[in-house]
Amino acid sequence: MDFLANLAMGFSVALTPFNLLMATCGVVLGILIGALPGVGPPSGVALLLPLTFGMDPTSGIIMLAALYAGTMYGGTITSVLINTPGESASVVTCIDGYQMALQGRAGAALGIAAFGSFIAGTFGVVLLMLVSPALARWSLAFGPPETFALMLLGLTTVTLLTGESAVKGYISMVLGLMIAMVGFDIISGDARYALGVPELMDGIDFLPVAIGLFGLGEVLAGAEEARLGAMVPGRFGFRDVMPSANDWLRSRWAIVRGTILGFFIGVLPGAGPTISTFFSYAVEKRVSRRPEEFGHGAIEGVAGPESANNAAATGAMVPMLTLGIPGSATTAIMLGGLMMWGLRPGPLLFEKNPQFVWGLIASQYIANVMLLVLSTAFIPLFVRALRVPFGILMPIIIIFCVTGAYSLKNSVFDVGQMLVFGVLGYAMKKLGYSPAALTLALVLGPLAERALRQSLIISDSGIAIFFLRPISAVLVVAALAAVAVPALRAVRNARRRRALALKA
Amino acid sequence: MSARGGLAVRGADRIAGAGLLALGVAFSAGALRYYDYWGPNGPGPAFLPFWLGLIMAVLAALLLVKAIRAADPGEDWLPRGDALRRLVLVLGATIALVALLEVVGMIVGTVLFLVGVIRFLDRHPWPLTIAVALAVAGVNFLVFTYWLHVPLPVGVLGF
Repeated sequence: MDFLANLAMGFSVALTPFNLLMATCGVVLGILIGALPGVGPPSGVALLLPLTFGMDPTSGIIMLAALYAGTMYGGTITSVLINTPGESASVVTCIDGYQMALQGRAGAALGIAAFGSFIAGTFGVVLLMLVSPALARWSLAFGPPETFALMLLGLTTVTLLTGESAVKGYISMVLGLMIAMVGFDIISGDARYALGVPELMDGIDFLPVAIGLFGLGEVLAGAEEARLGAMVPGRFGFRDVMPSANDWLRSRWAIVRGTILGFFIGVLPGAGPTISTFFSYAVEKRVSRRPEEFGHGAIEGVAGPESANNAAATGAMVPMLTLGIPGSATTAIMLGGLMMWGLRPGPLLFEKNPQFVWGLIASQYIANVMLLVLSTAFIPLFVRALRVPFGILMPIIIIFCVTGAYSLKNSVFDVGQMLVFGVLGYAMKKLGYSPAALTLALVLGPLAERALRQSLIISDSGIAIFFLRPISAVLVVAALAAVAVPALRAVRNARRRRALALKA
Repeated sequence: MSARGGLAVRGADRIAGAGLLALGVAFSAGALRYYDYWGPNGPGPAFLPFWLGLIMAVLAALLLVKAIRAADPGEDWLPRGDALRRLVLVLGATIALVALLEVVGMIVGTVLFLVGVIRFLDRHPWPLTIAVALAVAGVNFLVFTYWLHVPLPVGVLGF
């Protein structure tokens, strides 16, 4: 079978010593980055991207994908032991995970999360492997209108789901698109909005922006806090971490549901691991026969969401690889990386770069096994890393931000740009804007503009073309709905407030 | 609670709203002024920027109106006291590092930056501070210069 031959070829790529080393580095760094509050998966990918430029793209993506999987687990450690989420996909784990730790069951909480992550991650790769080639084949028929409609949907849903207020979310997105307009226009050759600055004529690279927003910006936000909360002590020997028969019995369906839910939420453009954990927690609470235990250390409340986020992290790769549309900030940065490596993500990737795609898929199986081993046997080591004071880690991360921004083009201008976006990222985070929407818009902007202009060139009915073709019509209507829902909600709230004010 | 000007979210929203409104209008106007809205066979380089500027202006106006009519000044978004001191110290040191990068070079810059921040943020002991600074500068140099062949910024002293 064609497909088994591809997978075998993938393993032959993934099992080379260097790629195995990259997967290991990715998982270890991922767990550490995930565990540290403040720096999450997008920061990790942005900071490590510069290291991959000298490598073969396949090794690069293997490291980044392993890192993404590792962060999903790393955040759990902090959630369970300190009651502070290490990253946003582990927020709900605080609820029951920390309660379990207080009851002396920190090992069990981390253990079930590790096994749930392994099962979900592995099953996610199986689905990725089965779904992606079919999706890629289907999307080969996409013309510019469908591509544009899909990007529009990705942009509006990310905005809808990440900003604290809809208006601020959309402002972030439009700002990202405006930044994407800077530099040479591919069709006319105009150096748009360069203001006579030569460095701006080639456009604003997304890497310094991403490192600024997610690296420096997050560190500055974390700089204010002197230290982490107190850590609940726990025992992490083999027996403490292995889930008991009763734990398995209670968690098995939570893991299954979390996996399926997580994967499909991950595939949706715009909804990533974080959203999947909230869904999973809500579902588990609803179907449980002991809903009263939720919030007091119910193991299902850890097992479900922790499985969901790993499945979603894998699912999020599907639209990135097959359609070239990232569903989250992390995959947006990965997509930017793919383009920097000279690959063209999208339907043709599977045909033109089978080594890359299948190497990535095979390495994900390996990364999940590594993650299971590391996350059950080496917990004390990662817990130790959490004890490193933030006042030492923070400046070190800033040094990586500076070096990373510089390394792209050996340009101090880029470092300055990173600094500006770092300050902007800090302000955006504090004021409720969405750095994720800005980044996604910056990456998709040039592609979306080209698709839009091509669509209007081939159209003889103006913008009606987007509604006349069935696939693009469905996607555009969905995108408009994502804009309309918060707008309608705002109008309704305003009316209600006015009614209340009249009564008073 | 208290809120002076831009320190509270409402004030910041007003400033951001006004600034972004101006940016959106300027962006649209600039597009029409300098580039073609419609090219020989379709939308030109000004087409999307014009609409983006307009959408930004509308969104910014919404933000501005909401912030002007809001009765509650909102929470402070900038920290105070010790948290502010920490933020200013870290940000100031970072700005200094970037500004002096081509004068002192990456290696010396890294050591000075790390020593300064680690020592003065939390008063970590000198030996630890210096050890961390030297180790990070060394690893960074080895990884980028030898492994990745990316030359790091060199200072006036030649390293």
